[in-house]
Amino acid sequence: MRAKTASLIVALVGLHLTLLLAGFVAPCDPGAQDRDLPYAPPTRLHFVDASSWHLRPFVYRWSAGPDGYFENKRQSFPVHFLTGGPAYKLLGIFEAKWHLFGVDEPARIALLGTDGFGRDEFSRVLSGGQISVAAGIAATLLALLAGSIFGIVAGYYGRLTDESLMGATELFLSLPWLYFLLGVRAFLPLHLSPARTFLLLTCVIGLIGWARPARLVRGIVLSARSRNYVLAARSFGGSDVYLMWRHILPEVLGLLLTQAALLVPRYIAAEVTLSFFGLGVNEPVASWGNMLSTLQQYSVLVSYAWLLAPAAAMVVTSVIYSILADTLHSRLEFRST
Amino acid sequence: MSYLGRRLIRAAFLLVGVSILCFLFTEMAPGSFFDEMRLNPQISPETISSLRSRYGLDQSLVVRYGRWLRSALHADFGYSIAYNAPVAPLLWSRAKNTLLLATTGMLLTWLVSIPLGVWAAARSGRMLDKSVRVASSLLVSIPEVVIAVALLAIVVRWRVLPVGGMTSMDDEGLSQWARLQEIASRMLLPTIILTLGESAIIVRHLRASVLEVLDTPFVQAARGLGIGRMRLLFRHVLPVAASPAISLLGFSLAGLLSGSLLVEVICGWPGLGPLILDATLSRDFYLVIGGIMLSALFMVGGNLVADIMLLACDPRIRTGALDAR
Amino acid sequence: MKAIARLTLLVCLLAGVCMAAGPSPEKPNPGEELERAGQVSGHYGGNLTIGGRAEPKTLNPVIATDTVSREVIGRMMADLIDINRASQQTEPALAKSWKTSPDGRMFTLQLRKGIRFSDGHPFDADDVVFSFAVYMDENVDSPQRDLLIIDGKPLTVTKVDQYTVRFILPRPYAAAERLFDGLAMLPKHLLEKSYREGKFVQAWSLNTAASEIAGLGPFRLKQYVPGQRVVLERNPYYWKVDSQNERLPYLDELTFLFVGSEDAQVMRFEAGESSMISRLSSDNYNLLARERDRMRAQLADMGPSLEYNFLVFNQNDLRSKKLDAVAQKQQWFRELKFRQAVSAAIDRDSIVRLVYGTRGAPLWGNVGPGNKQWVNTAIPHPQRSVDAARQLLKSASFSWNQAGQLLDSSGKPVEFSIITSSSNTQRMKMATLIQDDLSHLGMQVHVVPLEFRAVIDRVFQSFDYEAAIMALGGGDADPNPEMNVWTTSGTSHLWHLHETEPASPWEREIDQLMQQQMITLDYGKRKQLYDRVQQLIAEHLPFIFLATPNILAVANPRVGNFHPAVLDPYTLWNADELYIRTPIESAAAR
Repeated sequence: MRAKTASLIVALVGLHLTLLLAGFVAPCDPGAQDRDLPYAPPTRLHFVDASSWHLRPFVYRWSAGPDGYFENKRQSFPVHFLTGGPAYKLLGIFEAKWHLFGVDEPARIALLGTDGFGRDEFSRVLSGGQISVAAGIAATLLALLAGSIFGIVAGYYGRLTDESLMGATELFLSLPWLYFLLGVRAFLPLHLSPARTFLLLTCVIGLIGWARPARLVRGIVLSARSRNYVLAARSFGGSDVYLMWRHILPEVLGLLLTQAALLVPRYIAAEVTLSFFGLGVNEPVASWGNMLSTLQQYSVLVSYAWLLAPAAAMVVTSVIYSILADTLHSRLEFRST
Repeated sequence: MSYLGRRLIRAAFLLVGVSILCFLFTEMAPGSFFDEMRLNPQISPETISSLRSRYGLDQSLVVRYGRWLRSALHADFGYSIAYNAPVAPLLWSRAKNTLLLATTGMLLTWLVSIPLGVWAAARSGRMLDKSVRVASSLLVSIPEVVIAVALLAIVVRWRVLPVGGMTSMDDEGLSQWARLQEIASRMLLPTIILTLGESAIIVRHLRASVLEVLDTPFVQAARGLGIGRMRLLFRHVLPVAASPAISLLGFSLAGLLSGSLLVEVICGWPGLGPLILDATLSRDFYLVIGGIMLSALFMVGGNLVADIMLLACDPRIRTGALDAR
Repeated sequence: MKAIARLTLLVCLLAGVCMAAGPSPEKPNPGEELERAGQVSGHYGGNLTIGGRAEPKTLNPVIATDTVSREVIGRMMADLIDINRASQQTEPALAKSWKTSPDGRMFTLQLRKGIRFSDGHPFDADDVVFSFAVYMDENVDSPQRDLLIIDGKPLTVTKVDQYTVRFILPRPYAAAERLFDGLAMLPKHLLEKSYREGKFVQAWSLNTAASEIAGLGPFRLKQYVPGQRVVLERNPYYWKVDSQNERLPYLDELTFLFVGSEDAQVMRFEAGESSMISRLSSDNYNLLARERDRMRAQLADMGPSLEYNFLVFNQNDLRSKKLDAVAQKQQWFRELKFRQAVSAAIDRDSIVRLVYGTRGAPLWGNVGPGNKQWVNTAIPHPQRSVDAARQLLKSASFSWNQAGQLLDSSGKPVEFSIITSSSNTQRMKMATLIQDDLSHLGMQVHVVPLEFRAVIDRVFQSFDYEAAIMALGGGDADPNPEMNVWTTSGTSHLWHLHETEPASPWEREIDQLMQQQMITLDYGKRKQLYDRVQQLIAEHLPFIFLATPNILAVANPRVGNFHPAVLDPYTLWNADELYIRTPIESAAAR
């Protein structure tokens, strides 16, 4: 058990630290285009050349031929570690030039290939993850917070409160949100800074998303509030807020954790839809959502497998979060019994 | 007042509220049906404004809502600008197909998810549980569109199934049985896509809630009494753990008309999906509102069924839900 | 294994042919004045299936506005004079010949005698007069009506005798015979009743029975399955014959599947469920080309289309609108040197390479290389030059600060956003490339994708935008449809709509030239006038032209006479001549 928890913590810290320090880990500027190398496959790391073995990996440059790209073996470029490169802002504050690894000009190292503009997919996955994961988590928290408040209140008080709150969830689940989003977009200024986009994504998703968790929570509360210990606590004169906080909330914690693990990736992907209405993260800034949206194209999906990288990153994130949710769940259960 | 009476009133309020908000939203959204014609330099703005007034788009919101209400009472639910026809028959001819697909998808989803969820919980931490978790993470994190396109690409390349549509070209000449087979083979892929997406969520929830119940004293006690494992899981644990699952079932039922839209569009299933998507983007408002109203009806129905099931599963709720506190 | 698959396919196809055989073509009789397609040969039989992006909305040719409906209707209907999509010239259709009066105002059309609608009812001048009455009726609001109103006055139509019709235009109109293209002739006997009752708009909806619909096109309606397909069958009375004097069309049936998107069109094609795609994106075309070994297909790259993609800056009069932020930037947008600098800095070759996968052409004017008859080849094609762009900006008193940001004369950094439709991947890519190009000039450009109709609304109605990437053109090769884009009062005069007076001498000159070319009947003189228009546009850059995609199409190797054109409807313009080859024939054709 302890080893498991330890590896979970390592994975969590590793994931978030990599994303946080994306500028350092990534060898390239995520927005830098290389128009001679669109859709280039991942750069291969070599250890053996014609003469001998090398401890330090090296790469060749891609050259475009009639049948696609081939490695130009005339010159090899060793991979340097902790080396200088394009400038970036570490944690959004400090100007820095140091990168974890890189190769000398004119070669480029694109571990996950390049996209249609010749931009380094690896660097984009990392820098895109910053905004996407943060927005996904923030939106999930918002939706679950609103959802659990409304769900608990509806389930706890029942009757008219229940009817009207659940009526509201049904209303929210039926409305044509696309038109609402279009309307919202029309009222906003044309250009939205990434910070504003982040806020907007969070609020819009939270606003649309709270209704489902609210219904799920309310279902559990309905039965939880008539459990004996709740009834007992009530007869001792426990206030409503105390009862909800002390006895009802723990009952729905498991559900909320499961929901959280499901919603974070869902909400990251929701940006794909939102960007259709101009509410997403705009070029040239990367996000997992706008990277995934190119994958919807059949020709891209079947031709350039390496562009699945953001999807893979999302799956990894999602698995880590689901394990975190399970671990937290069993811990909390353990404590309450 | 009886429980059902209260629900009926709530449903009525809901439908009126949804329709009013629909009109407000459509008013907010920029653009109109005839905008595409503006790009054609050969059509004059006068023609466009005269078309707008023919369909009453130049009237105030209140007047349009009044007209729509009247037409809804005549069971037309407004008039589609694009199709030049009343909305209700347009919707109905496609809603049948959507229901066929979505119902099949839902049945399959629950048939898969319940055993898988319970089983994964019973063997938590083992191989099956882990693979269920990874698979559901995979299905939840990759957008449905990408999954659908990827599956379609595989099917196209391997030529295992017909791609898209519902019936084949020459279905006139086929026997009843062959036609059924044809429909089934074309329905397989969209059904699978629907099932994958939905089950990922349901299995997760079931697994978590069953796991929670398995830890409670009464189950430990029941184990001690030597009740068979299967019987324990499905007879005693599942009903107690069912609450989130029942709410999810409500969503499934509520989404029978609206949940499969995206899959229909990608797989070319002749249901409401392509129709409503097209209408939404082209601002054929009455068609969209008609579709929304229809799915709101399903929402009401689905949630009602879920609430009744919640009562049935846990008798304690009844006292709370029905009586004054 | 492959052989077996092919054999089964063949058997299925044969079975399909036997079952699907529609009405057999009537033998041509001497009383009919039929059109002979001299070079065309093929053989009868077969069903051609085409995947369409959406469902048609109506079968009424007078009110249809969407391309999908028009594509289907176009196969069921015929016009008096047709524009041959391959030659881009007019040719006789239902009118076997016509005469123009010397002043260019009177057209006398001789109709074909003895020909019949697809329901067997004869066609004559009464149908023509009826059709034009419908098109020009204010209460019908046909989108084609505006074409027939010249200078605010309608053209008049009179029946001279049973097979002669006379049209009088309110004033001379260049290439007036092109107006007739696409105006479907309607059967008076079927539609007069609903027209008289004022219900014409509801006539010929998708649910109308096939027997109620008739036209003069090569096909007629057989069946409509909601949400899935429209099946057309041969019109047994069609008025064209092939070189062997056999009545066209060759196909028994033509089926339009509704598949939803271009990607779905490609997948259905790969799965063998459809046999033709009309307009492919370069991504999908190149995909099919790469996979040639796996997928045998006739790939056709017809060269540059007539569509022009452009970047337009908002130069509208914003005084009545509350858009101060945009209005402040308009002093840049109105500066010619600013626009020239932007144009000089844009890497058009990259656009063609990265957006169109080399299947496109860069543009420096509104008429591209695809329009061979009208393009002004004297317009310069300057290389991309960031230095030249910087020089231009400098001479217009722009400057740069320490960080390399471009500042205007008052010291304000140059920053603007480009809106474009999020559903159009190509234009989104162009915007991203231009953003990068202009960053080399120190301009900060934001790409703002918006939903299609939201873009239209901003550009045409609210004017709440700074710059936009859009596309126009693509309809006809003739300059006349461009009138509304380039003349001051035009309704597509996008950079400055509702302009009352020409803002500058060059705009005044364009107005005069465009008006003049419209009443000039001689091609050589018209070409001179239009060349000057193109030159003025290229010099003053109200639009910054970017690129045009090639017209790309694909068909199953078994489709014979597959000759796509660069004009809409690209592949189906010769639907009457398409046929299904036998496997032996298609092997030979390879």
